[in-house]
Amino acid sequence: MNPHLARHLTREQISKCLIGDATLQESQHASSCAVCRGELARLESSFSQFRGSIHRWSDQEEQLSRVREVVTVNYENHLERLLIPASVDLPWYKGIVISVKELIHPPKLPPLEVTSKPVKLASLKGLYGGHETTAGLGSVIVHVAVVALLLFAGTLKPVQQAMKEFVPLFAPDLKPLQPKPKPEQSKGGGGSPQKTAETKGELPKVAPKSFVPPIRPQDDPKLAVNPTIVAPEMPNINSPNYGNPLAGIGIPSAGNGIGTGIGSGKGPGVGPGSDGGIGGGVYKIGGGVSAPVPVYRPEPEYSEEARKAKWQGAVLLQLVVDENGVPQDIKVIRSLGLGLDQKAIEAVQKWRFKPGQKDGKAVPVSANIEVNFRLL
Amino acid sequence: MQKSAPVADPPFAGVLNDFESLVRQHRPRIFRFLLASLRDREAAENLAQDCFVRAFKARDQFRGGSSLATWLMHIAANLVRDHEASSRLKFWRRKLRSGLDPNDLSDWIPDQQKSPEALAVAKEQVDAIWKAAASLSERQRTVFLLRFVEDMDLLEIAVVTGMKEGTVKTHLFRAVQAVRLGLEVQK
Repeated sequence: MNPHLARHLTREQISKCLIGDATLQESQHASSCAVCRGELARLESSFSQFRGSIHRWSDQEEQLSRVREVVTVNYENHLERLLIPASVDLPWYKGIVISVKELIHPPKLPPLEVTSKPVKLASLKGLYGGHETTAGLGSVIVHVAVVALLLFAGTLKPVQQAMKEFVPLFAPDLKPLQPKPKPEQSKGGGGSPQKTAETKGELPKVAPKSFVPPIRPQDDPKLAVNPTIVAPEMPNINSPNYGNPLAGIGIPSAGNGIGTGIGSGKGPGVGPGSDGGIGGGVYKIGGGVSAPVPVYRPEPEYSEEARKAKWQGAVLLQLVVDENGVPQDIKVIRSLGLGLDQKAIEAVQKWRFKPGQKDGKAVPVSANIEVNFRLL
Repeated sequence: MQKSAPVADPPFAGVLNDFESLVRQHRPRIFRFLLASLRDREAAENLAQDCFVRAFKARDQFRGGSSLATWLMHIAANLVRDHEASSRLKFWRRKLRSGLDPNDLSDWIPDQQKSPEALAVAKEQVDAIWKAAASLSERQRTVFLLRFVEDMDLLEIAVVTGMKEGTVKTHLFRAVQAVRLGLEVQK
């Protein structure tokens, strides 16, 4: 082999071979050396792929444009078929000449011969078929008779008497008054696993979802997000640290509850309750929170003493219906005595409810229930 | 085609007079070159139309010094240059910047019962060449497309572009180097 061709072709030389500008020696090397030949073949195959793609693309576009052309031509043909052909359509000046000629010398037309005869049609006589007078008189008589009858009936004594005694009555609406929907009073609570109770501070912003809790802010976050809580809008104070504006002063703390809120409760709200909102306790009926509906309500038993004393009345109970519809935390608000309170609580403990809902989700709801005791 | 061609070039008068068949014969090639150069179907169609209008108007000047195809391609190349220069659409640069080509060329790879892997590799290569060609200068790109898409030899390209053969070589060499670089970057 030629000694100065023992080395492989350089990048530049390969490019030259590719464009067909190689020296004799270079092309000889390219045909004999497997490595360089492989390199060239690889590049050429890439270029041929490229060429094939462009050819295919352009062929496709060409075909498409041909299809478009055909469609356009057909469309024009269609239009042309609608128009009057040029052979029929006269130029305007010829039209004027012809009409002037016809004005001066009207072309003689053959005389018009009427071959049909008129026919009488009943439907052409109108609505009354020629009896208009009779119909009009009849109508007047009927109307006069009706008016006279009404006048006669109105002047009769018994009728006038009966009308005087008539008093219109309207059925009153006997449905119990429904309370107006109150603004949302959902009670909620927050919590932060800290040792001390929450202290006075500024409330974080209120948001439907708490992405960043007001505790343990991350140092140097990639995407800074203001901490938020889930609570209704409420008065706020200006303070350097987050806390409960209603709490006492102390070492800054977000409370000792569980969750991402502030306070001793559970959840992303503020206060000692659970879930969103502010304050303690559970949700109250109204403002987007629906009332729980009893689905199983066994009657309470009468206590022996009350039966003997013929004691009647109602016990008012307060309870919390949890998410499963089970009454919890039953308290007597209005007592009746004689063991009836106990019996009412026993009965209500067996009740089952369809739980109250907020935003389509069952939530624990506080409710009052009146248990009636009547002797028959 | 009422006007008869001048007597000076009788051998081509017939060809040029039957303009319709000429268009039918040469349009695909011209259109392909314009499409590859401009990457825009509308513009390519318009310029193809322009190309034949120009050819028709200038048919008296065609002396038969080169083949008819070369002559038409010369007109097309001039049109591409004018288009790039006059419109200043920054078309290529805009395409490059957005990085999104609605007419993705790799969709048009002829698949000759290739395996999915081979097809994917081919797609990548075609994409790389397409992108590299987009970044070339107008002259380099024209030369590159004429050589590798239209399969013209260096002399023909010289005639079409109106450059000297040496200049064509230089442009082609630089274009190939750039495209190869693009192919290697892709890997």
